[in-house]
Amino acid sequence: MPVLRGGVDGSPLRILALLAAALAMLPLAGVVAAAMSGQATADIAARDLTRYALSSITLSAGVAVSTAVVGAVAAWLVAMHRFPGRDLFAWALALPLAIPAFAVAYAYADFLDVAGDLRTWTRARWGADLPFNMRTLGGATFVLSCAFYPYVYLAMRAALMNQSVQALEAARMLGCSPGQAVLRAALPLCRPALAAGVALAVMETLADYGAVQFLGVQTLTTGVVRAWFVYGSLTSAAQFALPLMAAAAILLWIERSGRRGRSHDAANIRWRRLEASPLKGARALAASGFCLVLLTVGFLLPAIWLGLAAMGVTPEWPRLLRASAHSVALSSAGAVATVFLAALLALGAGRLPVTARLASLGYATPGAVMAIGLLAPAALFWKIAPGGSASLWVGLTLLIFAYAARLMAAALEPIEAGLSRVTPSMVAAARNLGRSEVGAALAVQAPMARGALLTALLLVFIDVLKELPATLILRPFNFDTLAVMADNYARDERLANAGWPALLIVAAALPVVVWLTRRITVSRPGEDAA
Amino acid sequence: MTRSIPLAAAALLALAACSPSNTEKAGAPTDSGELNLYTARHYDADLALYERFTKETGIKVNRIEGNPDQLIARMTSEGASSPADVFLAADAGALWRAQNANLLQPTSSPALEAAIPANLREPEGRWFGFSRRARIVAYDPAKVRPEEIDTYEEIASPRFRKKLCVRSADSVYNLSLVGALIEAWGPQKAGEWVKGVVANMARPPEGGDRDQIRAVGAGVCEIALTNSYYYIRMAGGGDAKDKAVTDKVKLAFSSLDGQGAHVNISGGGVAANAPNRENAVRFLEFLASPEAQNIVAEKNSEFTANPAVPAPAPVDAYAGFQAHPMSVATYGPRQSEAQSLMSAAGWR
Repeated sequence: MPVLRGGVDGSPLRILALLAAALAMLPLAGVVAAAMSGQATADIAARDLTRYALSSITLSAGVAVSTAVVGAVAAWLVAMHRFPGRDLFAWALALPLAIPAFAVAYAYADFLDVAGDLRTWTRARWGADLPFNMRTLGGATFVLSCAFYPYVYLAMRAALMNQSVQALEAARMLGCSPGQAVLRAALPLCRPALAAGVALAVMETLADYGAVQFLGVQTLTTGVVRAWFVYGSLTSAAQFALPLMAAAAILLWIERSGRRGRSHDAANIRWRRLEASPLKGARALAASGFCLVLLTVGFLLPAIWLGLAAMGVTPEWPRLLRASAHSVALSSAGAVATVFLAALLALGAGRLPVTARLASLGYATPGAVMAIGLLAPAALFWKIAPGGSASLWVGLTLLIFAYAARLMAAALEPIEAGLSRVTPSMVAAARNLGRSEVGAALAVQAPMARGALLTALLLVFIDVLKELPATLILRPFNFDTLAVMADNYARDERLANAGWPALLIVAAALPVVVWLTRRITVSRPGEDAA
Repeated sequence: MTRSIPLAAAALLALAACSPSNTEKAGAPTDSGELNLYTARHYDADLALYERFTKETGIKVNRIEGNPDQLIARMTSEGASSPADVFLAADAGALWRAQNANLLQPTSSPALEAAIPANLREPEGRWFGFSRRARIVAYDPAKVRPEEIDTYEEIASPRFRKKLCVRSADSVYNLSLVGALIEAWGPQKAGEWVKGVVANMARPPEGGDRDQIRAVGAGVCEIALTNSYYYIRMAGGGDAKDKAVTDKVKLAFSSLDGQGAHVNISGGGVAANAPNRENAVRFLEFLASPEAQNIVAEKNSEFTANPAVPAPAPVDAYAGFQAHPMSVATYGPRQSEAQSLMSAAGWR
């Protein structure tokens, strides 16, 4: 049986997967190389480093817990119940994906500023200040949870909708109440989805560049930046970055080992639609209220606040439109390149589990660290490519490579999930019919994972729209993206001006997010997912 | 996915079509009618400057904006093939770090030397200051008398326990200020000052300079450290709420050892491997010209560096202050020492 030889060295899929992984790992190798070169000269006290590390851990844990609870409850309400507004909330709750975390940070920092209207009013009215300050660890946790809960919500909703009603019925027949059935049957079955969603949220948190920096919360990234910029020691900076990368690796490992051997998808043939149970009276009101608050806090409030702020300035349309064109084109190209590499990696990943995880590390690597790592391969490319760093095409190629290295995990997750629906026997059938390994991948695996590939494309598209650190350091001349424009204005403390590019990012990402979430609604086991 | 590849290719082509594409020539060793600018300044006023320069000289300005240290890292990585002609930054410390990384070359230009006072440029001409900003005190006149904050020592005095707002030690403006204090007083006294500032903080450092001014307006603190242009911009700006804040908050030009306020610069120099060296020098000379000085002062509320150019409105109302004559080139080498002092004192 040819399929049994799948693990043999030198199979084309394996080589392609290794190549894709090598590309994605170049920046990480760059960081390790920088950490081992030269003298570490930054004078950062152990006390400060401990504080940074504790902030990073607290922030990640806070985001993990809050996104898990909020995202899972929202998914459980929407997927398994009927209440007023449910059809709207089903897709609207994913809208925060369209708004960059740094823009949420601008909006909330301004909205809840100590000298802002709201707090000035509460002081005058009640003689006491509101306890909410966004420029704190708690504030950053709140902002990032608002921005990233949709990862958990989407993963959990898909899992709940994809499960067959049979597990729940079995639980009921064994004497469970409806609530117990959810706790004892549905939730454990959805655990892999929950883990995957939370892992994505925490990885985004670790990698965040704009939001935490804007809020002035000092995390390990602060240590990296201080060592690099103030003390001028790239070596020290890279050394501080190593524990962050190790944390990311451990996170990926935990997430994976939680899933191992836990494939619970019901066989397609016996799949039956789960009937949503109607909620009445106070319960229905509570469900609608919960979703409305979540939607308001995660999307409506920051978007409207930015819009109001932006109204105060006249937008410079020529610059904004040019930046929009750059953003959309880069995001499209970045998405295709990333998904192509991720697909190669996923096809070979069954045999290269460790490699696939290592290649995913870029996703959880803090932006400032990634910038260090990207400069090493970039230096080489600038030297050998015709035109060097002054060339537009060299710059764009580098950027697209950087996005692929940084966002590999975002594409890999859905693609691997999609490919897991292709059983080994299906591939074996194709091989027995005389297809080569690559032929079987093209004829069976890729078409079956078509929906997953599309999902991956759109996810990466949105992520590139919001990407900052790599774009900032590698972009070619005269090439502003919307995210770069927003960052420029925010650093100059001009929030109203930053509002326009931030809103345009939302406008570009919004249709994609809506389409993505609606797609999950129509794609169920046994149905065509495309 | 296969359908998306042509789509993305089309997007890239469209991108190339709508992007300025003649940067390809920029790497050529001889002056090409272009100027490649790596700038850490991120102000809209600068775009007006570049346009004016292009109009006058026909030289096209290509720019990459970014954090100064990322630009320095990028120039270092690019090495000898770097297309950068001019590096601009909004802090004397950042310019020193570029100099220290051997990324700037000495420039000798009679026009520049005549226009820019010696204490606002690097002695060998590696960089020149083109605009000045004072790092001074915003205060609440209802609670503080101006003579209570006319020296930098007073900012750290027990008079202002828990009454001071200041941004974090990550701010280069704070690093340069403490660097200047180390230069003036030595590390011992500067360290005491830093400890006094930490004891005086009304809240842990948060936000930018503008947020500190607003906090004074909101009664969170009585005094705040800020760069002059943030206040001047708020006072003259389009935002009615910010304007209202400056009606309640005043600006005091504290003096260092009776010699004037701490002044930082925005400036730039010619890159070590500049492919368009002549254009680069022309650009720097342009920045020192009365015309450019006026644009920067007017649009960005900074003070002119060229003493022959009087400050235009609205900056003129604040321009009569005495500036400390210390060479701005001393800040950079002191910044890491400043950071260590601040960290040791618990200035986050």
